[in-house]
Amino acid sequence: MNDNLNPYKPEIVTVEDTWFETQGDRAIKTLKVVFDDEEKRESWEHRPGQCAMIGVLGVGESMISISCSPTEGKFLRFSVMRAGKVTQALHELEPGDKMTVRGPYGNSFPVDDWKGKKILTIGGGIGQAPLRPIIEYVKANRGDYEDLTMIYGSRTSADLCFKKEFEAMRERDDVNIHLSIDIEEEGWPHYVGFVPSLLMEVNPSPENTIAVTCGPPVMINFVLQNLKKLNFADEQIYTTLENRMKCGFGKCGRCNVGNLYVCKDGPVFSYATLKAVPEAFA
Amino acid sequence: MDSKKLTKDKFGGFIDLLSKQKLYVPQMAGETLRFAPVDSKDEVNLVFSNTAVPPKSVLFPQTETLYEYEAGGTEMIIPEGPEEKVLLGVRPCDARALTIVDKLFSWDIDDPYYLKKREATTIIGLACQEPGINCFCTSVGGGPASTEGLDLLLTDLGEGYLLQPLTEKGEKLCQDAGELLVDAAGEDNQAADKVHQEAAEKIVRNINVDGIPQKLEDLWESPLWKKVSDACLGCGACTFLCPTCHCFDIQDEMEGFEGRRCRVWDSCMFKEYTLHTSGHNPRPTRRERTRNRVNHKYSYFVKNFGTIACVGCGRCINNCPVNIDILDILSQVVKEAL
Amino acid sequence: MVDLEKLKNVAKDTVSREDVKYLIGWRQGTYGFRVSPLFMTEPEDADKLIFSPLCVNNLATYLTLAEKLPVPRGAEPDTRKVALMVKGCDSRAVVQQLIEKGIERESVLVIGCPCQGVLDLEKVEEKFPGIHSPVDVQWGDDKFIINLPDGPQEVPREELLAKKCLNCRYPNPVMSDVMLWEEVEAWGNGEYADVKELEEKDSQARWSFWQDKFESCIRCYACRNACPMCYCEDCVLDRLNPQWIYRSNNISENTVFHLARAFHLVGRCIECGECERVCPMGLPLMTLNRKLVKEVRDKYDFEPGLDPESKPFQSSYRPDDQEDFIL
Repeated sequence: MNDNLNPYKPEIVTVEDTWFETQGDRAIKTLKVVFDDEEKRESWEHRPGQCAMIGVLGVGESMISISCSPTEGKFLRFSVMRAGKVTQALHELEPGDKMTVRGPYGNSFPVDDWKGKKILTIGGGIGQAPLRPIIEYVKANRGDYEDLTMIYGSRTSADLCFKKEFEAMRERDDVNIHLSIDIEEEGWPHYVGFVPSLLMEVNPSPENTIAVTCGPPVMINFVLQNLKKLNFADEQIYTTLENRMKCGFGKCGRCNVGNLYVCKDGPVFSYATLKAVPEAFA
Repeated sequence: MDSKKLTKDKFGGFIDLLSKQKLYVPQMAGETLRFAPVDSKDEVNLVFSNTAVPPKSVLFPQTETLYEYEAGGTEMIIPEGPEEKVLLGVRPCDARALTIVDKLFSWDIDDPYYLKKREATTIIGLACQEPGINCFCTSVGGGPASTEGLDLLLTDLGEGYLLQPLTEKGEKLCQDAGELLVDAAGEDNQAADKVHQEAAEKIVRNINVDGIPQKLEDLWESPLWKKVSDACLGCGACTFLCPTCHCFDIQDEMEGFEGRRCRVWDSCMFKEYTLHTSGHNPRPTRRERTRNRVNHKYSYFVKNFGTIACVGCGRCINNCPVNIDILDILSQVVKEAL
Repeated sequence: MVDLEKLKNVAKDTVSREDVKYLIGWRQGTYGFRVSPLFMTEPEDADKLIFSPLCVNNLATYLTLAEKLPVPRGAEPDTRKVALMVKGCDSRAVVQQLIEKGIERESVLVIGCPCQGVLDLEKVEEKFPGIHSPVDVQWGDDKFIINLPDGPQEVPREELLAKKCLNCRYPNPVMSDVMLWEEVEAWGNGEYADVKELEEKDSQARWSFWQDKFESCIRCYACRNACPMCYCEDCVLDRLNPQWIYRSNNISENTVFHLARAFHLVGRCIECGECERVCPMGLPLMTLNRKLVKEVRDKYDFEPGLDPESKPFQSSYRPDDQEDFIL
């Protein structure tokens, strides 16, 4: 077997730009990277919802969702929360530094099947990262979709990712944005409360709508309950799961929920599928 | 190719032939047996029950370098391809286990490290004559002389071995052995059949696996899982020594300026296995981990690959320090589901 | 003498108490000479309990092994006691956990079982191989009475006694809330033949002895998990950030693993022998621990796990402590 087909061997990428989305102990930093290998830069294809195994040689690898849409250009973006050894090392990277990327892994949001529908994303905290590519994809193909509504919340306003982009999006009249924070803050003009409550407030109609949610497990559970209250059918609800992963393609074992592997059968699942999987919401 | 016979006076010559490739046989490592390369002919002893560590350790080593690099560098060097190997004395259960692990490692995306080694390895089995106390291979589709996964099966007939070539690799070996072998007579084949038959009759433990995958699904929330896992120590003895367990971790390790990304055996019985960096653990206790181990073997693997990922070698039962006994669990599953 | 009726009655009464969560005792295993811990919540399960020379497991491990899950919002934490059956050696683990404040006194109810020494599983399985049905074993005078399917057999005590029991000085629980029967007379003198034998070898020979053992370790962590004194929620040897040892299985990492564990047990190991018993690779881990037990006893006249009111070894400095090893 040709070494280039070795699925464990990553590509080298160069960090082109970095910025912090949030600050603090668990700061979130976005890394914009490009493949060193020109051929790879051209041939790389990913779809909204897919992940990649990114890493730093000498430290390790972590599975991170690709937070840009392929429609944005020949680069990749990852928004990484500083939590463990690898994410710490990723946070230390500056423009010009090298890191490793392999993938893309997993299935994706069936965005092309959703054409002609209304799209509703419901995100919490870092859970907005896998939803962002959907929004960007819909924006890039705006004529193909009906309403685009984004509900997004975090603990405080300082914990919201992609803030500047949302401000820019407010200029457009074809995206409905609803933001929330958990705790009251002076000067905050938007909703105060948990994301699932904001969802009820927004009260979206299930008609011809696809709802996609990602965030902390507790939030997802309540969002799912509320979507059911709003009469969304199981097939209209999508979420993306995360689990500890090592290989990314169904060998190392650990990311299974029931007989499914989050890395290859997911990370995107419809609620209709997940409902039948015993440990999906563990 | 028909069966051959190797008389014991020619055994040394046969070992010489096998030693042209790297030859692995069961040998003592510390206090227990495992497959290790042979340095001298005297180390070859085919009188043993089974190895403590299954032969998966040769094809899927506990620690395996994926690629090496230098500190600060970007070049990744994949180790040279595997050398040709012969494993002599593999028990039929452990060979069957390899065919199960094959399915996983060639699923969707090929795992080059495992598959290349598998390809370069000739597996010579040795039919079981004295099954262990917790052997139950006959309940899960195997037997003391099962041939799945083997290139050649040896049966000890006392004054010699009966050799059954099973694949091209096995036939090639027999051809290379030339004059060392003679054609087996009808009575030799009958003698071997008798040996196999007698060994199968010695297997006491058993389980009827019909319907177990579905029963496991039905019993997902059963109090059974708490009961059977209360005593679990959360160690990896059952999984590390299981010939079909194949989970691994990937780690970066530096020594001075030399670095490598390697894979090491991991176990679903460990807390860390599913622990998210956030601190959330989708399998927070030994109950969920035990349930996963049993379900993976007897339900998930069946769904994904159409076969039970257990060959009945009994190692998990023999080695559990607190007598967690998979046959006991399965019989409780059967009973509860009624 | 073992009074099984009393044991069962005490167990029934204990699990009927409102302030008791469950009782941990021993039950016959699924085959041969094996036993398994029994977690008992219902009085009717008392009939499953046994106490015999088969009851080798130190159940004190479970006091700290049980996962502490977050209490659901609005719910009260479960503060009920765990009732625990202990032999002499096991009781020292409970005491040592109390000394270290690893557990709280109110959290445990100790049921003492004076013990005449347990069987070495490996030896008995070797002597009577291939027995499928569970075997009952009893203590006799200086012998074990082994009730095999085809009739009882008597075997001299020394022949089958577990290594940890050969020299036992604490066969009676050193602490208990209930003592089930009369205490027995201790027989050990605290001498360690295995340690002595190794000490007499030169360092090269000692290293090759351990090298061979550590090389064969599969790092399944059974030794650590079975150890009642290894109860750190976040084991330093598991930690990735910072990472003290690599996950790779090789002589270097394995040696560090075992030596680090041994050193973390200095002045804490109560010699229950569980690490060695549970090792699937048969590593003589107690030889390592006993060497350190001996050093601590000879040099500092200290023994862990005897008095719940005492201080841990590392924090019990005395001005006249030996210091001649400091370079």
